[in-house]
Amino acid sequence: MGYSLQTLWHEKARYSAGVGAVAFSAVLMALQFGLLLGLFTITSIPLDHTDPRIVWIGSKGVEAIDLGQPIPISYLGRVGEHSGVLPPEPYIANFANFQKPDGGTDLCFLLGHFGNAGIPDMLTSEQRTALTEPFAIVMDESDMKRMGMTAVNQTAKINGKEVRLVGSVKGLKSLAAPWVICSHYTASELMGALLPPDHTKYLLAKCDTPERAADLAAHLKAEYSDMAVYTSGEFSTSTRTYWLLRTKAGIAIGYAALLGLLVGGAVTVQTLYAATIASAKEYATLFALGIPRWRVYVTVLFQAFWIGIFGIALAYPVVQLLAAGARAAGTQVILRWEIMTGTALITMGMSVFAGLFALRSVRGIEPISLLR
Amino acid sequence: MAAADNLPSLRAVHLLKTFGDGASQRTALRKVSLNLFPGQLALLMGPSGSGKSTLLAILSGLLHPDGGQVLTRPNDQTSFVDIWGISEAARDDFRRKHTGFIFQGYNLFPALSASQQLEIVLKWGNNLSPGEARRQAEEMLDRLGLLNQRHKKPAAMSGGEKQRVAIGRALVKNPTFLFADEPTSALDWENGQAVIQLLRDAAHSRGATIFVVSHDARMLPFVDVCFHLDDGNLEEHEIPLVVAGE
Ligand SMILES: Nc1ncnc2c1ncn2[C@@H]1O[C@H](COP(=O)(O)OP(=O)(O)OP(=O)(O)O)[C@@H](O)[C@H]1O
Ligand SMILES: [Mg+2]
Repeated sequence: MGYSLQTLWHEKARYSAGVGAVAFSAVLMALQFGLLLGLFTITSIPLDHTDPRIVWIGSKGVEAIDLGQPIPISYLGRVGEHSGVLPPEPYIANFANFQKPDGGTDLCFLLGHFGNAGIPDMLTSEQRTALTEPFAIVMDESDMKRMGMTAVNQTAKINGKEVRLVGSVKGLKSLAAPWVICSHYTASELMGALLPPDHTKYLLAKCDTPERAADLAAHLKAEYSDMAVYTSGEFSTSTRTYWLLRTKAGIAIGYAALLGLLVGGAVTVQTLYAATIASAKEYATLFALGIPRWRVYVTVLFQAFWIGIFGIALAYPVVQLLAAGARAAGTQVILRWEIMTGTALITMGMSVFAGLFALRSVRGIEPISLLR
Repeated sequence: MAAADNLPSLRAVHLLKTFGDGASQRTALRKVSLNLFPGQLALLMGPSGSGKSTLLAILSGLLHPDGGQVLTRPNDQTSFVDIWGISEAARDDFRRKHTGFIFQGYNLFPALSASQQLEIVLKWGNNLSPGEARRQAEEMLDRLGLLNQRHKKPAAMSGGEKQRVAIGRALVKNPTFLFADEPTSALDWENGQAVIQLLRDAAHSRGATIFVVSHDARMLPFVDVCFHLDDGNLEEHEIPLVVAGE
């Protein structure tokens, strides 16, 4: 409604408190969820560093890469022959017990690839060759200290068997247990009886295009209900979402965002309240002239709407700027469109709700108050 | 002169109003009756606290009386409607269609132009299209000598201009009744005189029934009839026959 916008513009100073509050809530929400998503990329690093054209087959209902149950190697036959799809390779992903050279123990996570499909992309070709040796492993630089490793060629024990570090990489950071890259053979030797004979954790079918990977995944999903099928991208999202929900970190951030919303909502209500009271005599004159109250209700709601629009418009560049700053400082911020749209919708809803709340101030305006 | 000889457009019959109860009870109106006629400018005077605003509020449908009737005959209809005998919604509708108000304050929206202050009444009250509302608003402003000021916002207007815009807002829907409570008290006499002259013209040329409450005896020469209220009792006064400006 034109009059609402005109009033907002004319009394910028008065309404800027509301606009600022909406922007504050929106920035807080978008940035926190962006940071959270960024933080949880760490859970899906092995997936994000393998070829995006891979179809992952795992045990029924598996939601995160570290939660797979053993599946029979015989599932290889289920993929069948398709043009543009390489024969699937087994892949082991499992927690294991790491015994440091100095004797202490810690948890690690084995990633055992069979052929080329499952090798993280940061490995050099020398490292790939070195890993073909039995009991050779590679880990991230940043995890070496924690695992008591000081140099390449050092030995340690995993599940009681000796392994040798043949190289280190960058960018394979871990949260709970350091990723340990090795061959499928090494992994299955280290697992021993923990993995039933002729079983593996995943089957990886590499396709020639992402589209074919999506097609194959869809086809296998429809065909077999006793196994889980994902493309690399899907499995990555599923893994992050699982840990996000599982750790309830989302709830913590959600509370913080809710708090931001409450503050934003309260200030917006206050702004609209004050604005309505400031115009009480004008509105009272209109009511004396018999103009129905809903006209003024609509005006206040439109003011709330515009406060929301301007607040969100203000928040957008601020979020981008702060995200850029955070990235420059080495933190991941992932502003997916779902976060941006969700934030916009929620803050918009909040300001309209604030408008509804502020309608109470209109109810108290009586034309008789103008007579003295 | 005004057509004071035909049927009244508004008849107040035995109006009673008391505020509070017990020891703090205060009687504002004691059986007040009066007749107002189409095309007539009526003035109500009286000391402070005598019940003038209370009477205006009851006559205009803003305040419920404790007793009595307010019979109105909008648009020269032949039968009277008791505005305190109908539903609140019907009374709001009556005011929307037939009643204009001018208050002591100008009560103009700071963000809106002179023209928009009038348009809002036509659009929101009479559901006119934006184009038609603007046309009628500008016609009204033209008559008030404010056409050149139509884009001005209240902050850029003088007190007299603001009060003329407020009069325009009250008159733009062409109401049968116009009620004004102390419309000139914030103005100097020059501007006040212009306001009373405008009200007089509106009564005489449009046939509106105009009821003005004022302390200011300098208005007397401009009005057609004068009532005097004292402690809730109403008397009609003779008006000196010399009419200023004629
Ligand atoms: N809402 C109210 N509650 C209690 N008493 C009221 C109320 N409104 C008016 N009164 C009392 O009724 C009496 C008449 O008031 P009213 O406002 O009609 O006077 P007035 O003639 O308009 O006075 P003034 O010239 O000062 O404007 C006064 O004594 C006033 O105190
Ligand atoms: Mg008064």
